Amino acid sequence: MIVLVCLESPNPSRASCAALSLARGLGPAAQIIAVSAGGPTHGRWLDLARQSGAHRILHIGDAILGHPDFLTLGMLLAEAARYSGASLVLTGQSSDGEGQGLVPAALAHNLHAPIMSRIEAVEVSQETANAVVATTYADGRHVRFEVAMPVVLSVPPILWVLPGTDAATDASQQAVESLTLSQLGLDQSRVVPRPDLLGTRVPATVGKARPVSFDEAAAILLRPTLA
Amino acid sequence: MASIVAYMDVREGAITLPSRFVVAEARRVADAAGATVYALLPLGPVPQAQIEELAAAVSAAGADRVLCSSDELLAGPALDITHGALLAQVAERLHPRLILFPAGGVGVELGPPLAIRIGAAYVPRAAIDIREEERTPDPPSQRVLLQRWRAAGDVQRVVDVEDIEHAVVATLAAGAPRTTYGESFSEIEMLPCPEPKYGRPRELASVQDPNADVALCSFMILSALPASPALQAKLPPGTVVTVIGSSLDAAAEAACPHQLMTLSDGSRPGPSAVQSPWLAPGAERLRLDSAAPDPEGEMAGLAEALERLAASSKKVPA
Repeated sequence: MIVLVCLESPNPSRASCAALSLARGLGPAAQIIAVSAGGPTHGRWLDLARQSGAHRILHIGDAILGHPDFLTLGMLLAEAARYSGASLVLTGQSSDGEGQGLVPAALAHNLHAPIMSRIEAVEVSQETANAVVATTYADGRHVRFEVAMPVVLSVPPILWVLPGTDAATDASQQAVESLTLSQLGLDQSRVVPRPDLLGTRVPATVGKARPVSFDEAAAILLRPTLA
Repeated sequence: MASIVAYMDVREGAITLPSRFVVAEARRVADAAGATVYALLPLGPVPQAQIEELAAAVSAAGADRVLCSSDELLAGPALDITHGALLAQVAERLHPRLILFPAGGVGVELGPPLAIRIGAAYVPRAAIDIREEERTPDPPSQRVLLQRWRAAGDVQRVVDVEDIEHAVVATLAAGAPRTTYGESFSEIEMLPCPEPKYGRPRELASVQDPNADVALCSFMILSALPASPALQAKLPPGTVVTVIGSSLDAAAEAACPHQLMTLSDGSRPGPSAVQSPWLAPGAERLRLDSAAPDPEGEMAGLAEALERLAASSKKVPA
């Protein structure tokens, strides 16, 4: 089973680290391919990919890309999944930057594959070929589903740990395979940034917590509500 | 603005509090900007009487019309695989300007795939601001703005619903609706449930999370200790006490409370970005300090204050 793990370059998010950890947990049945799109070919993402024992490391770079938006990233990562023959794609649920969580959805849309979010665990199905068993947190429950592959699973930024080194695989010098748009069969005209969908940036600072007395706190808590 | 769709999250047979808040917010926008509020009620196979009961609650919260789909496929957790086609069907039919999801995790699962599918903007952990714009000599117009923090916490993003050519999908913070906006009567339209595009996932097992209420809270109290029984008994609906840990659990990660209060005697550090949930713009941050060295001191003090206030106002919290 080929598992594609998507990492932001140069610094992967906590959620992406969690995705990489889940991929490693799949064991020897999984051939992990780490991929990043845009950004530099080096950085912490590469270190983590190597430490995790990835069988291949891909980087999609092209002069036209610059800082690709979520739609472009989704398209590029979907093409990387096709290129690498991945049947399972693991991504972080949202980045530590913009944090909308749209890249996994755009990836799944372009790959024509289903998506499940808030994944807590994943394992290879022992009962059904070409399927995985994924545990998701939904409706206040931890639910185990068997889903057919190909599938995109996105992982929240909880229980994230830095992947340890795989002693069985000396991947510390694993080379990075650089891919261009044309190698992925993509035309430059398909890269259309959509900054309007992000909204306007407005400077703001997170306010400090306001000190309150017991009585003030009680009064705030007891404001009448519909419930 | 022609229409607004508010997604209703139903758990254990009841509309969640964040869902009622979403309808109330949709009503507020509709009253200001002129729109019809549709509440979308996805349900498993349930009796007609229960559908009518739920629709009445949604209607009282502010919906003009209730769209309901009742099918075995929708009986399980809300997943894009099972619920996505229904949402796309509604979006295709109504072409709403706004599609709102409640806090609690359902927006994370359903919002981004829907936004990508229909080419909409997506605003997670959003707050809605309505601003009047002078247009003399014409009457003033109302601008509907959806605001969110970037995850990095450095700046906010603002989407003006009228400026953007596309629909806007948003997940709102969990506020507490403070009034009823409508009558408990509304027209119910039953919708067919489309077959999922990628087949049905097979549910193997399910375990209830004892902390599930945390994901739905509108008022989160962060404490070094679990809630004392005295405090727990006096907390109003939508309020939870969460223990400050080294990281968030699944329920806390899904939470987006409108108010966050830290109980602290000053000897402990406050919650860091990892320990506290993201908040929407406008969320209230409070800190309750106590001189008492005993960490249970704040809980006892808060419990006493709640009891005193409830008794004096004759309003006993539910």
